[in-house]
Amino acid sequence: MAILRRVLEKGWLIVLLVAVWWIASADSSNVFFPPLSTVVATLWRDLGNGLLIGYLGFSLGNLALGLLIALVVGIGLGLLIGEIRWLREAVTPFVDFARSVPQAAIVPLIVGTFGLGPGPKIYTIAFACVFPILLNTIDGVRGIEPTVRRFGRVYRITPWRYFRRVVLPGALPQIFAGIRVALPIGITVMVVSELYAANRGVGFYILNSSSTFQLAQTWAGAVLVGVIGYAIALLFFRIERVSLRWYFRSGAMAE
Amino acid sequence: MSTFTIPIVQPGAKAFPSRQVRLAATRVGVVALLLGAWQLAYAAGALPEVAPDVAGIVAALAAVVSSGVFWTALGQTLLGAFAGWALAAVVGIVLGVAIGASGFLSRSTAVLVEFGRAFPMLALMPVVVLVVGVNSRMVILMVFLSCLWPILIQSIAGSRRQDQAVVDTVRVFRIAPFRRFRKVTLPAALPLISTGLRISASMSILVAVGVGVLSQSPGLGRQITMAQEASRWDVAFAYIIFAGLVGWGLNSAIAALEKNALTWNRQEA
Repeated sequence: MAILRRVLEKGWLIVLLVAVWWIASADSSNVFFPPLSTVVATLWRDLGNGLLIGYLGFSLGNLALGLLIALVVGIGLGLLIGEIRWLREAVTPFVDFARSVPQAAIVPLIVGTFGLGPGPKIYTIAFACVFPILLNTIDGVRGIEPTVRRFGRVYRITPWRYFRRVVLPGALPQIFAGIRVALPIGITVMVVSELYAANRGVGFYILNSSSTFQLAQTWAGAVLVGVIGYAIALLFFRIERVSLRWYFRSGAMAE
Repeated sequence: MSTFTIPIVQPGAKAFPSRQVRLAATRVGVVALLLGAWQLAYAAGALPEVAPDVAGIVAALAAVVSSGVFWTALGQTLLGAFAGWALAAVVGIVLGVAIGASGFLSRSTAVLVEFGRAFPMLALMPVVVLVVGVNSRMVILMVFLSCLWPILIQSIAGSRRQDQAVVDTVRVFRIAPFRRFRKVTLPAALPLISTGLRISASMSILVAVGVGVLSQSPGLGRQITMAQEASRWDVAFAYIIFAGLVGWGLNSAIAALEKNALTWNRQEA
């Protein structure tokens, strides 16, 4: 019963809002706001005939590769910058500046110059995602207790083991926090890079349909992107819970 | 320094001028390294043909900053970002504190709020452009839609964050609702709300520039796209660098402001 109550409590508003949207738009003749039933039917049709599945594969593939690059570069550099003091002091202002550059600002430069292929999109996603990961990794490394560090030194464990057993696990919760921030940014840049110029992808589907006034498709694409974004956030939350089980169990999280 | 004063070594800054000099030298070295690498890549032909050399970038920076176009565009972007952000702040804080005041409401809205945050609002832009058109209202609307969620989430969390002892005390003393809101809920919520405001403030610039890039609405984003289309990477670079400086300045200003405004919350910093 308690579970039922919780589900009801969490779900009623969503159901209500969708119902209101459904009913209010039911016989809408407004080109810009097609009936929700049409939007859903369109979404279903384009998912079923493989068009959107292919586009999704392209977009999510770019996102995955971009994120992968951001992870390798962000965590790698972050561990180094966090551990080595002179390096950190030397580069901090530049990192602060670079992460303040609006991610979308480099889209015209990269995507506009290097064309419609996946490469430029992957690089823009990687650029946008690298900073939250990098900054959080640095913070994570710096947040490791000095006592733990000293223990590592006292026992003279090899540098490699020290990194793998002390620095990396110590920074991991913060690294995960960085990835959590990077994910929605990555999805946004993924869509923006395709809205700017593309011949494939979910963003292209949205842009192309709106420029041909197929607004049902535009809405379908936008809804799909929203659901995907939410699903990825949920999925990552699960991954984080499982990977950091030791951390949450240790009660290190105050809340 | 008189002979009687004991030199106090302060941790961090100012104690060792030589250290500061060394630090400054390292940073200059980093700049030189970056620029040198760029120039080398340029000379070696490793960069795309439209890429400028270092002198070109510097010249473009000077040309852009002394042009009226830049300042107009900057003003347009900042205005759109600020208006959207301020609107989101008002709506987000009012809604958030109201939702947070009720356990039922905050549980009911949780999924919706999480969805809103995960939703890449720029995906809605083609629709918004068709409905509202390419103008400053559209920019403000997009910034508002993006900035609303972090503020809302932080405000809900803030107004939920209450010590049980405080809640009991309020009840025992039968403190009037308005007073309770002003003296108990708000001070407890403000640190979290201010985090939301800060996150969304840097977001507002990003969105305002992003919208400009995509829709060609007047502002910095449009100038970058136009520069790229004219194959003027040097100008595009200059605009990107200035856009970064604006974001950086904004972040630093807010950080400084927050430090001063929330002194009572220092122990949690």
